[in-house]
Amino acid sequence: MVIYPTETVYGAGVDATNAEAVKRLSKYKTRPLGKPYSIAVTNREMAEKYAQLNPTADNLYKNWLPGPVTIVSRGKHKVAPGVESETGTLGIRIPDYPMVTDIVRALGRPITATSANASYQKRPYKLSDIWDNISNKQKDLIDLAIDAGELPHNEPSTVIDTTLDDVVVLRLGEIKLKDRNEVVSRSEEDTQNIGKELWQSYESHAGQRAIVFALEGELGSGKTVFTKGLARAMGIKEEVVSPTFNLELDYEGRLIHIDAWRMQTAGELDGLGFGEMIHDKSVLAVEWADRVAETIRKYNEEAVVVWVKIEYGKRENERIIGWGSL
Amino acid sequence: MKILAVDTSCDETAAAVTDGTTVLSNVMWSQASLHAEFGGVVPSVAQRAHEERIDWMIERALRQAGCRMADIEAVAVTAGPGLAIALGVGIKKAKELVSKLKVPLISVNHVEGHALSPLARARTESQDARPKRIEFPATALVASGKHCDIIRIEKIGTYKLLAHTIDDALGEALDKAARMLGMGYPGGAILEKMAKKGNLETYDLPTPMLGREERLEFSYSGLKTAMWRLVQKELPLTPEKIYNLAAVFQNKAFLHVERLLIRVLDEYPTQDFLFGGGVSANSELRKRVRKICRQRNVGMHLPYSKRLCGDNAAMIGVAAGFKAARREFTDPDKIDRLPRWKVDEVK
Repeated sequence: MVIYPTETVYGAGVDATNAEAVKRLSKYKTRPLGKPYSIAVTNREMAEKYAQLNPTADNLYKNWLPGPVTIVSRGKHKVAPGVESETGTLGIRIPDYPMVTDIVRALGRPITATSANASYQKRPYKLSDIWDNISNKQKDLIDLAIDAGELPHNEPSTVIDTTLDDVVVLRLGEIKLKDRNEVVSRSEEDTQNIGKELWQSYESHAGQRAIVFALEGELGSGKTVFTKGLARAMGIKEEVVSPTFNLELDYEGRLIHIDAWRMQTAGELDGLGFGEMIHDKSVLAVEWADRVAETIRKYNEEAVVVWVKIEYGKRENERIIGWGSL
Repeated sequence: MKILAVDTSCDETAAAVTDGTTVLSNVMWSQASLHAEFGGVVPSVAQRAHEERIDWMIERALRQAGCRMADIEAVAVTAGPGLAIALGVGIKKAKELVSKLKVPLISVNHVEGHALSPLARARTESQDARPKRIEFPATALVASGKHCDIIRIEKIGTYKLLAHTIDDALGEALDKAARMLGMGYPGGAILEKMAKKGNLETYDLPTPMLGREERLEFSYSGLKTAMWRLVQKELPLTPEKIYNLAAVFQNKAFLHVERLLIRVLDEYPTQDFLFGGGVSANSELRKRVRKICRQRNVGMHLPYSKRLCGDNAAMIGVAAGFKAARREFTDPDKIDRLPRWKVDEVK
């Protein structure tokens, strides 16, 4: 294990493909199981050996590396256990520090690019930041420390997860809708009114079966606006806001507003208790429903599922809103 | 009073030990936080993960504070707002601890924690250093991925929500704009870096709620839509375009905050201003807010460390310290998760 300088902080490097070495690193870092390590590679080609780079990652490699950015992609499981995350993602960095890339090139394998502090200790900008904060046992695990003096106090690398863009989405276009309807909305108010009208046409099922409005549409297309109209028609007084970060917002126990944008698998919807919500005959609006279509489909019989697709129209403020059932 | 605080309101599993406003330790298992090293995966449905990690976080918090469990005199936990299943994990753990330790339980509102986070003091601060003098009523801005609130703090423990978002929170809007620029997730932090290299004169985007500031509402949906259209028009993106688009978007997103803040400070003047939440770590926004405060002779207070900006448990401990001083404890048999708990309903 080598302590080495980078353009951010001192790093702790071991051969990322060597299971023994990674074990030793985990002992040094006193980290719990399941917390992964990012790796340093020399260039994009080398990164591709260890991870699948999607177009988002492509764009990031092209524009930001080498540099203080760690890009998370789906791993190819070619590194030692514990380097990839529990879900098989891998963080990759191309340091803007020739000595590090020289080491990696000479080794022919990636090295771990984790900061050299033990977990939750001070950021190491000089070797004494490390030395003064670790035990003798930890010191014994270090084979070599390369002293480049005090490094400029740059922030640690920025982590960008590109795997949300990996999800194979089931496009509504591929889902054959019976009785598909379509209208044009020319304003936010129009979109809200369409939400209101849709509620009125399905309201009769309320209390007998769960009603799911499965919403699909680009960022900023008006999924939350549609839900505002829905809520208003239901007589909900509370302000409907974006559920992106909370994942789920419950309005007066009458409308459950879910956002699947941050979900990586359709199964995560079940993790939120979607099945119980359906059994309870809830009314649900699910944004980014295409990301979790697989799970929603399971309840096709039990619930009334209305698929709503909102697309940008040609003119400013114009939206094409289509809906129907499977 | 040494308080062990726990926050599992959304993505982060966080624990801390505080004593009054002094932070003895502040640890979190975080993916999206500013200081997180690569953490793997957007944790989304976090219940399982919180359950696996909470004991470890508590142990860490105690060890770093140099405390034993027996030294803990109260347990604080976030009861809301947040994701119900995630909140439940922290509450269950807190109930378990108070029953074992025979100490009181304090339930804390997460937004109150953010609003009071600038009052937290570092352990390294000298014992004689005078605590921050803050004149109440004071104004607080909490800006994060989930929240975008301007709050009037009548006194600690009594709040009035002056402005809130009607769609997206500021941090969320920044993350989504970054995503439109192909920057992955979470992209707010990298958007800030790119914006530094951009030129504001290159594109035009609307200023949200321009001329409607008196409604005291944040709204980012219109700006987001305009950005989406602009990005489609500019495809394929070059680094140059990305810098400029990032700069123009961030500028308008912040301008909206500035205009609302000015409105609030002029309409409800206070001596002091507290700024918390993940986006309070953004140096450009800090600069702009500082200027507004300086022009009005208002004292601006930020958390002493960026570890207190994003979701964390130390801020929950600090808020709980004030509650303990007021003897506001919670019956462990009655505590319940409050996913929609508003900061003006803390009493």
